[in-house]
Amino acid sequence: MRSMVFAVALGAVGVLAIAGCGGGGSTSGSSSGGGDFVAGAEAACTKANKQIVALGTPQQEQVTQYIEATEQVIEKLHAEVTALGASGSAETAYTEGLATAIPELTKMGNAARNENFDAVRELSAGLVEIHLGELAEAAKLKTCAEVPVSAS
Amino acid sequence: MRRLKLIVVLSGLIALLTSVGIAWATTGATTGYPQPKENVPVQVQAPFENRYVLTAVGSGAGIRSGEMKFEFEEGSSPQFLVGISQFYQYGPTGEIETGLFTFYPPKELAGGKGVGFTVLKVGASAQYGQLTEDGELQLFNPEGDTVKGQLRLHGGGPWPVEFKVLDEDERYTASPPAARQIHEAQPSNPGWGGEASEYEGEYKLTNGAEDPTAKAGTLGAVIGVAQGLGVKGAVVSSGSMTVEGDPAVATVELETGGTDRTFTLTKLAWQGDQRVAQVHNEGPDSPPVGRFEGTGGQGVVKGDLISGHSVYKVEFKLKG
Repeated sequence: MRSMVFAVALGAVGVLAIAGCGGGGSTSGSSSGGGDFVAGAEAACTKANKQIVALGTPQQEQVTQYIEATEQVIEKLHAEVTALGASGSAETAYTEGLATAIPELTKMGNAARNENFDAVRELSAGLVEIHLGELAEAAKLKTCAEVPVSAS
Repeated sequence: MRRLKLIVVLSGLIALLTSVGIAWATTGATTGYPQPKENVPVQVQAPFENRYVLTAVGSGAGIRSGEMKFEFEEGSSPQFLVGISQFYQYGPTGEIETGLFTFYPPKELAGGKGVGFTVLKVGASAQYGQLTEDGELQLFNPEGDTVKGQLRLHGGGPWPVEFKVLDEDERYTASPPAARQIHEAQPSNPGWGGEASEYEGEYKLTNGAEDPTAKAGTLGAVIGVAQGLGVKGAVVSSGSMTVEGDPAVATVELETGGTDRTFTLTKLAWQGDQRVAQVHNEGPDSPPVGRFEGTGGQGVVKGDLISGHSVYKVEFKLKG
């Protein structure tokens, strides 16, 4: 009892990793029944890229909102692409790449809310490792492979 | 069970954030940290098992005040110390920010000089709580109720630190008193060398990393934003620098995560191989947002360019 608070406080550090932050993408969705996956995904990516470009480049104090908004865009993109029904391994890999990105964005958003910007940067390595652009290229998704670039 | 764990965790961090928790602990910590690989003799660690208040710190660390506590991990065998601290740090615009750190694992300093610890930065809320390595704390053997040492933090330092051991019932209801700032000798010679011709001109960045956004598709933008953050060194993919004028001003262009950033460096100064400057985000007349601190000579300038919460590690070479 004597060192309960110190113990609990430090123990928190270890346990938090277990308690963790929630988040995760749904992989559910209905198949389009043989619809044009490429055309549908490209249209969804065009829309998503425009939304991301519109977010601009955030200042430090806007990073949390920026990451949250990006997460929403990626969640929607994932839902739309999932609904198209991937048929080959490359299309499936791209869809799974989007699903993998969502919990990573959730963690980055949590870190940003806590102003732990080192953690935001380090967690972004998880997004880099997905190589979503390469997965898109392999699935013949030209627009999905592009990096949305903001003018501001 | 999981909810219970989370409640315990939340309680702990709330207690920690109020800092009084540091004062209550007296027997041993239960941290969950594993047994360290390096075994430091208990008699070497024992003199450091105390509560401390920061009484002096190198001014470059940007720390106003702080409290710290070291305890042996309960049930550890061989025993090892774990520390926790709350530092009140000056933000880039002068406001005070709270930084929570833990110190683990211990290691014995050469020559029986004392004990050193890796500094782990604690996320600021129970919702996240991630630990990141953020430097090193060395504590030299106590002299009476004083413990001197040195601290590396956020990729900077080492800075001298001095702590006073607190009595069992000595605690602070608010933030502890401001520590004495130890001012280091700063370069004062204008420019970045004895002759303008030594340092004026066009420089190229020589430590550029691969652009992490290049193969990231739709995720590229958010990666770019994230990679430009943090105090441990944002990822710089490319860049250049021009030094000109009298007094000399440096214009630095950096690409971080697909985003171009421009900084203006004024008040360039040097001493020996030290090179420092003031950093501005929006031209030389805008308010300073940080400092450049590094080394240079023979056409090379390298160091940390600090802008607000971000640190860019750069190495420039003067073009032939």
